[in-house]
Amino acid sequence: MTEILLDVKNLKKYFKTPAGMLHAVDDVSFSIPKGKTMGVVGESGCGKSTLGRTALQLYEPTAGEILFHGKNIASLSKKEFHQIRPKMQMIFQDPYASLNGRMTVRQLIAEPLIVNKVCKSKRETEEKVDRIMDTVGLASRLAMAYPHELDGGRRQRIGIARALILNPEFVVCDEPVSALDVSIQAQILNLLMDLQEQMGLTYLFITHDLSVVRHISDEIMVMYLGKCVEYAEAKEIFRNPVHPYTKALLASIPIPSVESLHKRRELIKGEVTSPVNPKPGCRFAARCPFASDACRQEDIPLKEVAPGHFAACRMV
Amino acid sequence: MEEILKIEDLSIIYKTDLETVYAVNGISFSLKQGETMGLVGETGAGKTTTALGVLGLLPKRTARVTSGRILFDGQDVCRMKEQELERVRGEKISMIFQDPMTALNPVLTVGSQIGEALYLHNDAELSQKEIEQRVEETLELVGIPKERKNEYPYQFSGGMRQRVVIAIALVCNPKLLIADEPTTALDVTIQAQILTMICDLQRKYGTSVIMITHDLGVVAETCDKVGIMYAGEIVEYGTLADIFTGDRHHPYTEGLFGSIPSLTEESRRLHPIEGLMPDPTKLPEGCKFAPRCAKCMEICKSRQPGVWEENGHQIRCHCYSNPAEVKR
Repeated sequence: MTEILLDVKNLKKYFKTPAGMLHAVDDVSFSIPKGKTMGVVGESGCGKSTLGRTALQLYEPTAGEILFHGKNIASLSKKEFHQIRPKMQMIFQDPYASLNGRMTVRQLIAEPLIVNKVCKSKRETEEKVDRIMDTVGLASRLAMAYPHELDGGRRQRIGIARALILNPEFVVCDEPVSALDVSIQAQILNLLMDLQEQMGLTYLFITHDLSVVRHISDEIMVMYLGKCVEYAEAKEIFRNPVHPYTKALLASIPIPSVESLHKRRELIKGEVTSPVNPKPGCRFAARCPFASDACRQEDIPLKEVAPGHFAACRMV
Repeated sequence: MEEILKIEDLSIIYKTDLETVYAVNGISFSLKQGETMGLVGETGAGKTTTALGVLGLLPKRTARVTSGRILFDGQDVCRMKEQELERVRGEKISMIFQDPMTALNPVLTVGSQIGEALYLHNDAELSQKEIEQRVEETLELVGIPKERKNEYPYQFSGGMRQRVVIAIALVCNPKLLIADEPTTALDVTIQAQILTMICDLQRKYGTSVIMITHDLGVVAETCDKVGIMYAGEIVEYGTLADIFTGDRHHPYTEGLFGSIPSLTEESRRLHPIEGLMPDPTKLPEGCKFAPRCAKCMEICKSRQPGVWEENGHQIRCHCYSNPAEVKR
């Protein structure tokens, strides 16, 4: 068994809104072994991004523990935390909004080095920037360019370079390819997988695109309204989905093959309900075709349906 | 069946003082009544420009149609006067816009936004009451309870707003519906609901649809014919079966399929197309795809490829210009 790098236990993150408490992440636990990828899928508003940001301590968790190398990062002093921060990085979703338009590519990539006072001399900084630009496939002639001169794929490479220049162990990728065209998307996915192999990175990969998550992940967690509804190995979840929501999600993906023309699909009706002050019981009950009164009574815990395959449903 | 739309050798440029963007370069296709045609391509391929051209909505200051004709019901849209265009737009041709969050007017109720098209195209001289009734019927048709017609767009979720946009497009029973990435901004479960609805309505009313998308999965589920666009050209055109099975393809189509992670097959690496779309102000001489093409030959760099055709399946590539020499 490989070492567990990140262990998240009963993580909760609530936001205060005028309408009440918004349960963005509600009692989620998972662990990622070193060098593996954990995929998180779900629709917009299900708490995927909040989960990623809370795991990096960008948000203060409402409750729960985050253990990085076995140490609870919430209990660390400010100084100790600053030593750990470079090891945990993030790649942001929108390469158009996440870069400062007034900085050159070189400045953008060097910024994490300067903030963390990693390099002793200017030359060392420049060498490191050159090396990482080469690693992520940015031509060195672009070093003095500004982000607006570059296309989405190249900008996302800058975002990746910024995250990786501090030699992190753990990277949260928050929808890194969803703003890109398919042919560029494939280039970036290949790059992320190559870098994982070279640098031994561990990913928490957040996306709404099921085919992407299947391609890149070792384990997959399906979220619905802040709850983890199913959790298993990537192949297992696609071969044998158990939770009605996972099934519906998989059935909704348009498949690029001739057989799918005018195919009738089983659709789930309705839309995601509000995460503000949710009622007890299964969060999916309002849309679930199999829901009974018992589903609406009390929260349903995750149950192991097969070795390593967990689902939160009364039917299993 | 009757041909409702015929585009012949259409070219559109955007001209500014600084540069000229060659957005659409000589595309031709036709659409019969009740058919759905998919236009697939990446950002900047010219899909939306083509659609705006059909509607006569190109920005007047910069855009020019440099060649070709757009025949809708036998009439050339490019040569119509603004008044004539106004009668066609919204009534005979309508459009579903990409982003439901910005396509609606936030200060008008959804009911009045749907009714607007009826007021403007009121040939049957419907009374106020009849218009209200049509609005309610249309809302029910797209799956929104009619009690909600006096609500404002902010009170609706993304999927519901897209239904409102579809209701606006359908209220006059158009002959041709242009759907510009109708589900890109939506979640998959909602996308499935909206696509099913568009297909059902289309079958019910016999509307022709141009489905603009970059998602080959959406195309497979909705379209009869497919045109793959690259740098303002249709590089491959055929029936759904031609594009998705068939053994001859444009290298760009092959690249597109290689870029999608498969849900069923195991593969550790994707096979993307290297490089980027060419700059539309400086398109390469010869084949537009040549700089990124794995099968690029000498001739591709200097000469525009002709169209290879077999039973309506068209490919614009030098590999196939002479069928006898094709090597696979």
